[in-house]
Amino acid sequence: MSETSGAAGANKPLNILIVDDSATMRALLHRVIGLADLPIGRIYQAPNGLEALKILESCSVQAVFTDLNMPVMNGMELLREIAKRDAWKDLLRIIISTDGSKLRRDEARELNVDLYVEKPFRPEVVRDVLCQIATADAH
Amino acid sequence: MSSAKSQLLTPTDLHDTLQAALIEVGENAYFVFVEPCDAGAFATLAEQERDKSSRPGWLMASVRFTGAFSGSVEIVLPERLGHWLVTSLLGMPPEEDLPETQMFDGVGEFANMVCGAWLSRVGDQALFELKMPAVTRMASEWNPVGEGRGREELMCRMVSLNDSPMRIRVRAQ
Repeated sequence: MSETSGAAGANKPLNILIVDDSATMRALLHRVIGLADLPIGRIYQAPNGLEALKILESCSVQAVFTDLNMPVMNGMELLREIAKRDAWKDLLRIIISTDGSKLRRDEARELNVDLYVEKPFRPEVVRDVLCQIATADAH
Repeated sequence: MSSAKSQLLTPTDLHDTLQAALIEVGENAYFVFVEPCDAGAFATLAEQERDKSSRPGWLMASVRFTGAFSGSVEIVLPERLGHWLVTSLLGMPPEEDLPETQMFDGVGEFANMVCGAWLSRVGDQALFELKMPAVTRMASEWNPVGEGRGREELMCRMVSLNDSPMRIRVRAQ
């Protein structure tokens, strides 16, 4: 298993993992991420948390965009697993979900989620999220 | 309506929040206006749909939810509109053919977004769990106009989206 590296350097391409059970949402996020004016490396995709963990264990990923409601392993379960692993402590965690309730947001905060984006989202919201990541990383 | 539900919002609020959720999803994800329509306008649009489409059938997408109260959001729409929703969301040419699995997945995601956006408005302090959307193609002779409500119907909205009819029902469990 290769360890996940920390956040990407200023010019280092960002490897991203998209976790959503909807192939349409994964395709949408893939497209939107491609629109960001940032060096993007590989974009991995997984239909649930369990498949996402397999990718994280074998690939270098700097940011995870995850849905919450998914079969097999949901987004919160995935984030709990990520939180347990020291090797993934620098992994950027972004939730993209239809569930915008305060309780769910509080739960996400406890799991060190960096950003919480509600569906439906405008494409520029995801672009801005990536720009924030790049800006934070440059400092 | 159960007591848990009524503590959250009144029936009028439930209608308003569903309309707001539809508008939010339509405008933010699809850049399209969602116009309310009455039963007469819905029937006219449904009739026109039969004439103008090479995809005359109807789809039904439903999302079950559990939590502070349980039920389902059920959306019926012409297949032509379902095709448009998916190609529009993915930035594809509208005439592009889609595999059925992709169209069903995209229409299911639309229903998922509407249901989630509505529940977020119903109770910000409440937790809900949404099940996987289920999408089915209705039988060729099926007609949404004049279909019975069903005992468990909480509310029903009819709208026009991109000049096509869409009906959203919320059922309590």
